[in-house]
Amino acid sequence: MASRPAVEAAPTLALEHIDALSRAAGEDAGILAIRREARARLTPFALPDRANHLWRYTNPARFLPDGDPTAQGPADVSPTWRLDESLSVAALLAGGALRVVEIGDAARNAGVVVEDLHRAAADGFFGTVVPAAHGFLEAINAAAWRGGVLVRVPAGVSLEHPIRLRLVAGDLMVPRVLVVAGEDSSFEIIEGHVGGGAASKVIGVTEIVVGAHADVRYGLVQRWEAGVTGHLTARARVAAGAHFQMSLASFGGTAFKADVGAFLAGEGARVETFGVAMGGEAQHFDHHTEHIHEARKTSSNLDFKVALTGAARSAYTGMIRIAPGAGGSEAYQENRNLLLSGQARAESIPELEILTDDVRCSHGATVSPIDPEQLFYLESRGLAPMQAARVIVYGFLDQTLGRLPQTTRERIQALVAARLHTE
Amino acid sequence: MASTPTVADIGSDYNRRYGFHDPEEYFMRTPKGLSHEVVEAISLLKKEPEWMREFRHKALDVFLAKPMPTWGDTAMLSEIDFDEITYYVRATEKQETSWDEVPENVKRTFDRLGIPEAERKFLAGVSAQYESEVVYHSVKEELTKQGVIFLDMDSGLREHEDIVRRHFATVIPAADNKFSALNSAVWSGGSFIYVPKNTEVAIPLQAYFRINAERMGQFERTLIIADEGAKVHYIEGCTAPVYSTNSLHSAVVELIAMKGARIRYTTIQNWSNNIYNMVTKRAVAHEDAVVEWVDGNIGSKLTMKYPAVILKGERAHGEVLSIAFAGPGQHQDAGAKMTHLAPNTTSKITSKSISKGTGRSSYRGLVKVRKGAHGCKTSVQCDALLIGGAARTDTYPTMEIAEDQVRVEHEARVSKIGDEQLFYLRSRGIRDDQARLMIVNGFIEPFVKELPMEYAVELNRLIELEMEGSVG
Repeated sequence: MASRPAVEAAPTLALEHIDALSRAAGEDAGILAIRREARARLTPFALPDRANHLWRYTNPARFLPDGDPTAQGPADVSPTWRLDESLSVAALLAGGALRVVEIGDAARNAGVVVEDLHRAAADGFFGTVVPAAHGFLEAINAAAWRGGVLVRVPAGVSLEHPIRLRLVAGDLMVPRVLVVAGEDSSFEIIEGHVGGGAASKVIGVTEIVVGAHADVRYGLVQRWEAGVTGHLTARARVAAGAHFQMSLASFGGTAFKADVGAFLAGEGARVETFGVAMGGEAQHFDHHTEHIHEARKTSSNLDFKVALTGAARSAYTGMIRIAPGAGGSEAYQENRNLLLSGQARAESIPELEILTDDVRCSHGATVSPIDPEQLFYLESRGLAPMQAARVIVYGFLDQTLGRLPQTTRERIQALVAARLHTE
Repeated sequence: MASTPTVADIGSDYNRRYGFHDPEEYFMRTPKGLSHEVVEAISLLKKEPEWMREFRHKALDVFLAKPMPTWGDTAMLSEIDFDEITYYVRATEKQETSWDEVPENVKRTFDRLGIPEAERKFLAGVSAQYESEVVYHSVKEELTKQGVIFLDMDSGLREHEDIVRRHFATVIPAADNKFSALNSAVWSGGSFIYVPKNTEVAIPLQAYFRINAERMGQFERTLIIADEGAKVHYIEGCTAPVYSTNSLHSAVVELIAMKGARIRYTTIQNWSNNIYNMVTKRAVAHEDAVVEWVDGNIGSKLTMKYPAVILKGERAHGEVLSIAFAGPGQHQDAGAKMTHLAPNTTSKITSKSISKGTGRSSYRGLVKVRKGAHGCKTSVQCDALLIGGAARTDTYPTMEIAEDQVRVEHEARVSKIGDEQLFYLRSRGIRDDQARLMIVNGFIEPFVKELPMEYAVELNRLIELEMEGSVG
């Protein structure tokens, strides 16, 4: 066995603190039961084993809270956020509470519900996609989360404008997001992570339940300040005939691990995951993606691009699993890494586990520097070397961004461009 | 099994603690199970030098101290009962020098394996391992004249102790993994090849291996050294009869390609479906050297084998070309490892696997580029073919890149036999079973064409056999 983090590194999490937190937030008995069950899993032996490749490149102890995670006091934040852009919903989670909820008229009339997860009627959804058994950090979240939002879009509702959630990191943030998309609903939702500072920690969990024939475009955009150490888990369960698209964009923080994916649970479900990560200086990124095909005739596609400068480090592990009963399925997975400096490092482990024969699957991964011929070509057109490099990096990432829905795409493109100009 | 030694025990005082007790009793076959007494018996029987005896004892301590792998097919691994295995068996007492002197029953076995008279004349040397000891060994006269050494490992140690001692276990130390430690403790047989500077061995050197006694492990140790500018192709082929209890095969193969040398190592593994095949194969390629592993895995119950090349010198090239066929109940856990330590090194891995029935094949690979190894290029290509709804295939590639001026590529594809392909062939009047066989043969063709003709024929026959009854 590989070495495990020291026992004393495990967080202390007193049961009475959990009870007090739950009571103060006005939760019902169901949510408290889930908290207690999750707390029972938090033994030092449940810490991820670093011999397992999913944690080989990142020490899980980095993400553990420094003290009692329920001690995250309501921070003094007074953010203001108005519906100044075309949005269906704007919601803001900060300082351990849902601070702002703005719902546009069209969405309100259609019956879209956005409420505090602590007091929401989330039975049958909460904890079903990312159970506490998912992992150690997910169990910490399930036991001690504070500040959550439930977004529920009724069946048949199609929203023209996106739903935007903004999560502002404090010293310690353990947020929880639950999205329930009714049958035949269609919308775009963006979860943006911002804020934080030196020594900030975030342990976030997002669950998305996609009803039959629904179409959900979900964006997870992480642009924390330097100094944040954060772990985000996002999973969708996608029912028959539904389409789920995830856009993942990672820019900020000092150490970031993302564990994202989808269960293709119903026949004909389709999932796409498109991601870009830009790392510089001493940033450490670790992305894990999973597409789990559980039903027949499901298809998934994944395209994840990483560009690294400075002494940045990226680890990518991807899993496509096709269960024995999931015949007639297709899955594609692609991970490309661009190393822009001699100090940058990239690890890539794209994995396949195929348990039935009636499938088409492929995956590819590359790690390479900027093609000198491309550079030469652009320089011959009068671009300075720095400009030429920017154009190439932008082009590399834009192949993936071009596949995103418009609002998310424009936002991420702007962030990429801003980042390129500060390098 | 003996109790786990503490660290302080390792490497000291073996003679007093495990000194040899009763040589006669173990002359032909050691008792079942593994202990320092068994290791002592093997070493004494082979009249080995002291350093090798020490090496074996230390390796045994490492083996006992190391846990079983916690990755891979742990369910199958846990079925291995190390106490039920005989670690050393000798079929005949002395080395044969010519074919005529080989015992009749052994010859019959070789005939069934298909080493014809004509082929013997054609081949440079036949080193056929029958049970644990090499019984037949002939080296063509020109090779001897060229200065090429081609011996079984035991004779190699006796006759060329200086070369063996300099290189033995330098590529794969005993403590590399649990099974290399086991091999280091009880190894017997295998080949020792030394090709002098700028010498080209024009014809492939071959050795047939064979397991014959029930519940008996076979632990060959092969060491091939190609000196500067030398060139050699070694072929290892295995078959084994079917037995009712499981048997363990754990070889260690070390290749050293000096500056500008070229080594190709071809294996066709067709152990019977009750054998655990845990092999450690690794090569070191110095400046401008080329090492190629051509690796076919057809048989065994569980194979875990990841041929590796450490690209140590500038412009070295490593290549692994492998196929795996996992029939019902089999798990072929194979792969490749390339470690780029020097600048401008290149590597290529091509892996093809077929899973049929409840068969499972896994590709497990590692491509590692160390900081400073600029200008490296590496590509990995994995293709998997699935036949039957219960078949399984896994791809576990790992790429660790610490240098920006490199190109690393990995691609994998999984598919079943296409209905369109079958339809096309049927429309040409080809029967269903033949059509499937044609598609499978087409799939593995890049591998087959790298084999010498007689092996290609043998492999095609094997695939034909394995594919029988796959319609429906």
